Amino acid sequence: MKKNKSGLIMLGIVILLYAVLFSIKPDTTLDALGESLDVLKMIIPILLIVFFLMALLGTFIDEKAISKHLGEESGAKGWLLALVGGILSHGPGYVWYPLLQNLREQGARDGLVIAFVYARAIKIPWLPLMISYFGWIFTLVYTFYVVLGAYLQGVIADKLDNKKRNL
Amino acid sequence: MQIKLRSAFKGTLKTLYAISPMLLAVIGLIGLFKTFITPEMIHTLFNGSMLHDMLMGVGLGGVSVGQPFLSYIIGGELLDEGASFYGVSAFILSFVTLGVVQLPMEFSIFGFRFTLLRNFLSILFAFILSWAIAFTLGAVS
Repeated sequence: MKKNKSGLIMLGIVILLYAVLFSIKPDTTLDALGESLDVLKMIIPILLIVFFLMALLGTFIDEKAISKHLGEESGAKGWLLALVGGILSHGPGYVWYPLLQNLREQGARDGLVIAFVYARAIKIPWLPLMISYFGWIFTLVYTFYVVLGAYLQGVIADKLDNKKRNL
Repeated sequence: MQIKLRSAFKGTLKTLYAISPMLLAVIGLIGLFKTFITPEMIHTLFNGSMLHDMLMGVGLGGVSVGQPFLSYIIGGELLDEGASFYGVSAFILSFVTLGVVQLPMEFSIFGFRFTLLRNFLSILFAFILSWAIAFTLGAVS
């Protein structure tokens, strides 16, 4: 994981933004702070699961296994793992970024990571709500195209990656 | 094994510590967006034409934040108010696959090239897939 100061700078900007907005609209800004705390409360359990998974992966699965299952030679199994993993993964995408970057550093292909992130557009717990708003035909068509789109994006990313390496 | 596990947990804690300022900043921004940008503001921007609604859908979906179900609720209301399936599909897709607010975090974790490529592909596919979804729905019905 790259260490840099951009996080601290960004946090400083956000705190400043809150201070400025508080002086203009104190009530709305306090509501925003409340919303942020709700988001924080919601992601803490997911964050813990993700970091626990990271630690387990770090302990029991070595780089060799990762490059075998998610690397250059992973084939159809790699795609299946990325797409199903993306669909089943829970919570906001940014919570998964550190784990995904860890996998990349250990040999996972960019194409598979991109496919995983895009497949997260399918949210199984929310499918009943999608059906009730747009109907099951829309939901079926949407799900099919998201999976296809995730796969195609992964293929494009891999092709570009290979090209870069061959240059 | 115990030593390996301990060092893995140590590494994980280090990662958590390294990303925590950026994570808090992104969460702070999400709160601001949720409060200051209301669904009503989003409604006023769609007009029913294919290209306009797709552009609006991708743009607004990319800057909006929140739980995915919010995009379904807003999308459902947009459809009722005359927005096309092109725009609504584009909005839902970019709502969950793009995130302007979390972009700095994505850059700091994945690096410039990967983040640029991932977001470029997501924007491109928001257009392609929303067109394909609306076209297929039209052909089916």
